[in-house]
Amino acid sequence: MSRSALSCPGCGSSNIIDDDLYAQSQLVCVDCGAVVSEGSLADEHVEGSGVNFVRATTSAKKPCPNLIKGLQRVKVICQTLRVHSGIENLSQSHYQQAYQHDSFINVSLQKKDVLAGCCVLVSCRLLNWPITMGTIGCLVDADLEMVGAVYREMVKILNIVAPIISVTDVMEAHVQEYKISSLHVPEDLAENPKDLTKRAVALVELAADTWIVTGRRPIPIMMAAIYLAWQSLKPTKQRLKFSLDKFCQIAKVNKHRPAMKRIAEMKGVLCKLGKEIPWVSEAVTADNIVLHVADVLQHRYTLLKRAQRSHEKALLDNCEVSCGDSQTEDGGAPSQISDFVNETSNSSSVEQCEPHSEQGNGCDNTCTVSDPHGDSQKSQGPASNWGKRVLFAPPCVVNAKRRRAEQPELKDVTGDEEISDSEIDSYIRTPKEARDFALNQKMLSVLKSQKS
Amino acid sequence: MDSSNDDALDIIITNVVATFRTRCHLNLRTIALEGTNVIYKPEVGKVLMKLRKPKITASIWSSGKIICTGATSEDDAKVGARRLARCLQKLGFKVRFSAFKVVNVLAVCSMPFAIHLVDFTKNNRPIASYEPELHPAATYRIKHLKATIQVFSTGSLTVTGPNVQNVATAVEQVYPLLFECQKPLREKRRGELRSQE
Repeated sequence: MSRSALSCPGCGSSNIIDDDLYAQSQLVCVDCGAVVSEGSLADEHVEGSGVNFVRATTSAKKPCPNLIKGLQRVKVICQTLRVHSGIENLSQSHYQQAYQHDSFINVSLQKKDVLAGCCVLVSCRLLNWPITMGTIGCLVDADLEMVGAVYREMVKILNIVAPIISVTDVMEAHVQEYKISSLHVPEDLAENPKDLTKRAVALVELAADTWIVTGRRPIPIMMAAIYLAWQSLKPTKQRLKFSLDKFCQIAKVNKHRPAMKRIAEMKGVLCKLGKEIPWVSEAVTADNIVLHVADVLQHRYTLLKRAQRSHEKALLDNCEVSCGDSQTEDGGAPSQISDFVNETSNSSSVEQCEPHSEQGNGCDNTCTVSDPHGDSQKSQGPASNWGKRVLFAPPCVVNAKRRRAEQPELKDVTGDEEISDSEIDSYIRTPKEARDFALNQKMLSVLKSQKS
Repeated sequence: MDSSNDDALDIIITNVVATFRTRCHLNLRTIALEGTNVIYKPEVGKVLMKLRKPKITASIWSSGKIICTGATSEDDAKVGARRLARCLQKLGFKVRFSAFKVVNVLAVCSMPFAIHLVDFTKNNRPIASYEPELHPAATYRIKHLKATIQVFSTGSLTVTGPNVQNVATAVEQVYPLLFECQKPLREKRRGELRSQE
């Protein structure tokens, strides 16, 4: 198009058009081709608002690669444990939430790995899939302390209340780890996992009823139960000779040291019940109890009732003997009457006689937990002795550790006592000692004055 | 302190932690050289001073802040703190005793019965937590008292709280909850052991 106002300086014609060269605008004369004027590149104004440097150079925010790896790890752990997809999805969503929280965004990669394991653990618990922390610890290759710390932190952040697993639920999964079927060991040592599980679960239930399980770690209990179950399912001489070490070796599991103590405790309980079996004539000891385990477990509720009855009868006999000697004191101690047996007629007399038997027994028990300024015998009695009074009690109470009694400061030595004539010589200095002492004092005072 | 039932439960205070300020800078080297019964820890930057009576251990920092631990009652803690301030004054510092505060009280208590921790946790679900694989005790936190109670299956309790009154109240609050979980609930538990909640 032509511009009317301008005229070409070369030829004077007014036929001037806009002819842009690349991006530069130019006014050119059509007749002679002279450039009348051109715009400056620098003056070109950009359409749109200015963008600052930083925004112009950043790329779009990519999802964190560690988060993606972590989610993948969660998936792998779920697949190793062969859990169903609901648990997998739930654990992935938990992981995503927990990962982006302040407490976990900046931790080491190892901890993030442990976090993945803990997410799986909590999802399994919420959806009733039995699994122990020990298993997760093995999978993420971390010790139980770290797993525990991360688990607690995560549960606090995500505000989850997970149900507690019971030992019997985990038993079946745990038995699978023991390579004790006929494929792995010779026939006489082999055992069907199903039978083993059933027997072990019965043992654990019995242990739970008799205070062996509460407050203890589940894995050693399970190991002890499986070992005793294996021995008792076919109590041949060969099996009875097998120690826990050897059993763990052939089953290819790592031995847990507390399992030995659990075995002893379980055997103690079994012996107490074994004594009540009517058709067993010889004495039941820890050595031959394994032969009777099947019978004990089959009739355990009846045997428990019988054991409780005979225990209470024994207590009654005891206190009848000591009742006559000691004075009657109103027993303030609430006696722990078990609910195995509802014996109302016996209970009142037992209640009254309890403090007397305690006073008889309480003397040889050093006071463990009572007030140092212990007010009365009866308040000391229940605290230190109820473990011995009952048939079954947590082992820590029965074998209470004696607290080191504080040595009472010698309050009776005041320094004002009379010194007898025979002792007086040891208190008075001999003349030689007196001279030496005076000399030493003089030397010390000279040294002091030299120093200052 | 008595609880609400017939037998008095003995709550034994084992430790009281208190802090106070001396409002002046303290030269730790001087204290370490001239003080009695002191241990200097230059890597941490504090001096430990132990008093015989009342039996307390104090961590003394150069800023003038002092933490006293080991007392068996709040009054003992205060007496010990004042004695300590006097010791420092004798060493030559212009000490002023201020901002005394009991920070933590630890007490133990023992129930005359065993407690079934699984039942206890299930009955008090979000407030109580129990992880047998990590710690043998169930933890019960009372938010409004700021007290934490650790319940062991043997019936022993350890209570921590900001002062003695809170600790006593916490024990009184938790006692009925423990009382109902004291025996294994035979019929209920038999069913629970097999099924999952």
